[in-house]
Amino acid sequence: MGVPIANQIRRLRFEHGEMTQSELAEKIGMTRQTIAAIEAGKYSPSLEAAFRIAQVFGVGLDEVFQWVE
Amino acid sequence: MSLREKTAWITLLTVLICFGVYFGGIATGAVSPHGFDTLHLLLACVTAMAVLQLVLHAVVARRSPKAPHDERERLIQLRSHTVGYYVLIAGVLLLGVPGHMAYRVRDILNFALLAVVVAALAVSAAQIVMFRRGA
Repeated sequence: MGVPIANQIRRLRFEHGEMTQSELAEKIGMTRQTIAAIEAGKYSPSLEAAFRIAQVFGVGLDEVFQWVE
Repeated sequence: MSLREKTAWITLLTVLICFGVYFGGIATGAVSPHGFDTLHLLLACVTAMAVLQLVLHAVVARRSPKAPHDERERLIQLRSHTVGYYVLIAGVLLLGVPGHMAYRVRDILNFALLAVVVAALAVSAAQIVMFRRGA
Protein backbone atom coordinates (compact mmCIF):
# COMPACT_ATOMS: atom_id res chain seq x y z
CA MET A 1 0.00 0.00 0.00
CA GLY A 2 1.36 3.43 -0.92
CA VAL A 3 1.79 6.32 1.50
CA PRO A 4 -0.90 9.09 1.56
CA ILE A 5 1.55 11.64 0.19
CA ALA A 6 1.52 12.64 -3.46
CA ASN A 7 4.56 14.20 -5.07
CA GLN A 8 5.45 16.17 -8.16
CA ILE A 9 9.06 15.02 -8.44
CA ARG A 10 8.63 13.49 -11.87
CA ARG A 11 7.12 16.69 -13.29
CA LEU A 12 9.71 18.88 -11.57
CA ARG A 13 12.54 16.73 -12.93
CA PHE A 14 11.06 17.11 -16.40
CA GLU A 15 10.80 20.88 -16.00
CA HIS A 16 14.42 21.09 -14.84
CA GLY A 17 16.10 19.95 -18.00
CA GLU A 18 14.78 16.39 -17.82
CA MET A 19 16.93 15.72 -14.80
CA THR A 20 17.41 11.99 -14.28
CA GLN A 21 16.67 10.16 -11.05
CA SER A 22 20.39 9.48 -10.72
CA GLU A 23 21.23 13.17 -11.03
CA LEU A 24 18.66 14.12 -8.40
CA ALA A 25 19.88 11.32 -6.16
CA GLU A 26 23.46 12.51 -6.46
CA LYS A 27 22.49 16.11 -5.61
CA ILE A 28 20.81 15.11 -2.34
CA GLY A 29 23.09 12.21 -1.36
CA MET A 30 20.66 9.36 -1.94
CA THR A 31 20.51 6.32 -4.17
CA ARG A 32 18.60 6.28 -7.47
CA GLN A 33 16.44 3.45 -6.07
CA THR A 34 15.33 5.65 -3.17
CA ILE A 35 14.34 8.47 -5.52
CA ALA A 36 12.38 5.94 -7.60
CA ALA A 37 10.64 4.67 -4.45
CA ILE A 38 9.74 8.23 -3.37
CA GLU A 39 8.44 9.07 -6.85
CA ALA A 40 6.33 5.92 -6.92
CA GLY A 41 4.85 6.77 -3.52
CA LYS A 42 6.33 3.66 -1.92
CA TYR A 43 8.55 5.49 0.51
CA SER A 44 8.04 8.69 2.51
CA PRO A 45 11.30 10.61 2.80
CA SER A 46 12.42 12.25 6.03
CA LEU A 47 11.66 15.94 6.46
CA GLU A 48 15.33 16.74 5.81
CA ALA A 49 15.35 14.77 2.55
CA ALA A 50 12.07 16.40 1.50
CA PHE A 51 13.56 19.87 2.05
CA ARG A 52 16.69 18.89 0.12
CA ILE A 53 14.56 17.77 -2.84
CA ALA A 54 12.57 21.01 -2.76
CA GLN A 55 15.83 22.98 -2.54
CA VAL A 56 17.20 21.29 -5.67
CA PHE A 57 14.14 22.41 -7.63
CA GLY A 58 14.08 25.84 -5.96
CA VAL A 59 10.47 25.52 -4.84
CA GLY A 60 8.60 25.21 -1.56
CA LEU A 61 7.98 21.91 0.14
CA ASP A 62 4.25 22.08 -0.59
CA GLU A 63 4.93 22.29 -4.30
CA VAL A 64 6.80 18.99 -4.18
CA PHE A 65 4.72 17.02 -1.67
CA GLN A 66 0.98 17.08 -0.99
CA TRP A 67 -1.00 15.23 1.67
CA VAL A 68 -3.77 13.19 0.05
CA GLU A 69 -6.90 12.66 2.16
CA MET B 1 19.58 -3.30 -8.28
CA SER B 2 21.38 -1.26 -5.62
CA LEU B 3 24.72 -2.21 -4.10
CA ARG B 4 23.04 -2.95 -0.76
CA GLU B 5 20.51 -5.30 -2.38
CA LYS B 6 23.30 -7.15 -4.16
CA THR B 7 25.09 -7.42 -0.82
CA ALA B 8 21.95 -8.91 0.75
CA TRP B 9 21.72 -11.47 -2.07
CA ILE B 10 25.39 -12.42 -1.62
CA THR B 11 24.91 -12.91 2.12
CA LEU B 12 21.72 -14.94 1.64
CA LEU B 13 23.22 -17.27 -0.97
CA THR B 14 26.60 -17.81 0.66
CA VAL B 15 25.07 -18.52 4.08
CA LEU B 16 22.49 -20.82 2.47
CA ILE B 17 25.09 -22.76 0.49
CA CYS B 18 27.83 -23.03 3.11
CA PHE B 19 25.62 -23.87 6.07
CA GLY B 20 23.45 -26.01 3.80
CA VAL B 21 26.53 -28.17 3.23
CA TYR B 22 27.29 -28.24 6.96
CA PHE B 23 23.79 -29.09 8.20
CA GLY B 24 23.21 -31.36 5.20
CA GLY B 25 26.32 -33.33 6.15
CA ILE B 26 25.08 -33.71 9.71
CA ALA B 27 21.46 -34.53 8.82
CA THR B 28 22.39 -37.19 6.25
CA GLY B 29 25.02 -38.76 8.48
CA ALA B 30 27.74 -38.07 5.90
CA VAL B 31 29.86 -36.61 8.68
CA SER B 32 30.77 -38.73 11.65
CA PRO B 33 29.36 -37.28 14.88
CA HIS B 34 32.42 -38.64 16.68
CA GLY B 35 35.84 -37.05 16.83
CA PHE B 36 36.59 -33.75 15.19
CA ASP B 37 34.91 -34.37 11.81
CA THR B 38 31.98 -32.06 12.58
CA LEU B 39 34.26 -29.30 13.82
CA HIS B 40 36.49 -29.63 10.75
CA LEU B 41 33.47 -29.41 8.46
CA LEU B 42 32.19 -26.36 10.34
CA LEU B 43 35.58 -24.63 10.05
CA ALA B 44 35.76 -25.45 6.33
CA CYS B 45 32.23 -24.12 5.72
CA VAL B 46 32.78 -20.91 7.69
CA THR B 47 36.10 -20.29 5.93
CA ALA B 48 34.54 -20.95 2.51
CA MET B 49 31.67 -18.60 3.35
CA ALA B 50 34.04 -15.82 4.49
CA VAL B 51 36.23 -16.14 1.38
CA LEU B 52 33.20 -16.29 -0.95
CA GLN B 53 31.64 -13.22 0.68
CA LEU B 54 34.90 -11.24 0.56
CA VAL B 55 35.48 -12.00 -3.11
CA LEU B 56 31.87 -11.46 -4.21
CA HIS B 57 31.51 -8.23 -2.21
CA ALA B 58 34.75 -6.92 -3.71
CA VAL B 59 33.62 -7.77 -7.26
CA VAL B 60 30.15 -6.22 -6.77
CA ALA B 61 31.54 -3.09 -5.08
CA ARG B 62 33.99 -2.56 -7.95
CA ARG B 63 31.30 -2.94 -10.62
CA SER B 64 28.60 -0.87 -8.90
CA PRO B 65 28.56 2.92 -9.02
CA LYS B 66 29.48 4.64 -5.75
CA ALA B 67 26.29 5.33 -3.83
CA PRO B 68 25.77 6.71 -0.33
CA HIS B 69 24.12 4.60 2.37
CA ASP B 70 20.93 6.63 2.48
CA GLU B 71 18.03 6.87 4.95
CA ARG B 72 15.80 4.33 3.18
CA GLU B 73 18.58 1.75 3.17
CA ARG B 74 19.26 2.40 6.87
CA LEU B 75 15.53 1.96 7.57
CA ILE B 76 15.50 -1.33 5.64
CA GLN B 77 18.55 -2.45 7.60
CA LEU B 78 16.89 -1.61 10.92
CA ARG B 79 13.61 -3.32 10.00
CA SER B 80 15.37 -6.44 8.70
CA HIS B 81 17.39 -6.76 11.89
CA THR B 82 14.18 -6.53 13.90
CA VAL B 83 12.85 -9.46 11.86
CA GLY B 84 16.10 -11.36 12.49
CA TYR B 85 15.87 -10.61 16.22
CA TYR B 86 12.41 -12.20 16.50
CA VAL B 87 13.52 -15.22 14.47
CA LEU B 88 16.54 -15.64 16.75
CA ILE B 89 14.37 -15.34 19.89
CA ALA B 90 12.00 -17.98 18.48
CA GLY B 91 14.97 -20.23 17.69
CA VAL B 92 16.43 -19.83 21.19
CA LEU B 93 13.06 -20.59 22.79
CA LEU B 94 12.76 -23.70 20.60
CA LEU B 95 16.12 -24.90 21.97
CA GLY B 96 14.13 -26.03 24.99
CA VAL B 97 12.63 -28.83 22.87
CA PRO B 98 15.87 -30.73 22.12
CA GLY B 99 17.00 -29.74 25.62
CA HIS B 100 14.17 -31.84 27.06
CA MET B 101 14.66 -34.73 24.64
CA ALA B 102 17.98 -35.92 26.03
CA TYR B 103 20.03 -34.68 23.07
CA ARG B 104 23.77 -34.40 23.57
CA VAL B 105 25.39 -31.02 24.22
CA ARG B 106 27.01 -31.13 20.76
CA ASP B 107 23.60 -31.57 19.10
CA ILE B 108 22.08 -28.74 21.14
CA LEU B 109 24.99 -26.52 20.08
CA ASN B 110 24.18 -27.39 16.47
CA PHE B 111 20.53 -26.45 17.06
CA ALA B 112 21.72 -23.14 18.51
CA LEU B 113 23.94 -22.60 15.45
CA LEU B 114 20.96 -23.41 13.23
CA ALA B 115 18.91 -20.73 15.03
CA VAL B 116 21.66 -18.17 14.36
CA VAL B 117 21.91 -19.20 10.70
CA VAL B 118 18.12 -19.05 10.19
CA ALA B 119 18.07 -15.59 11.83
CA ALA B 120 20.87 -14.41 9.48
CA LEU B 121 18.93 -15.78 6.51
CA ALA B 122 15.78 -14.01 7.74
CA VAL B 123 17.66 -10.69 7.90
CA SER B 124 18.93 -11.01 4.33
CA ALA B 125 15.59 -12.27 3.01
CA ALA B 126 13.73 -9.41 4.73
CA GLN B 127 16.17 -6.90 3.21
CA ILE B 128 15.66 -8.33 -0.28
CA VAL B 129 11.86 -8.29 0.09
CA MET B 130 11.90 -4.67 1.31
CA PHE B 131 14.29 -3.57 -1.44
CA ARG B 132 12.04 -5.29 -4.03
CA ARG B 133 8.90 -3.68 -2.62
CA GLY B 134 10.50 -0.25 -2.67
CA ALA B 135 10.38 0.58 1.03
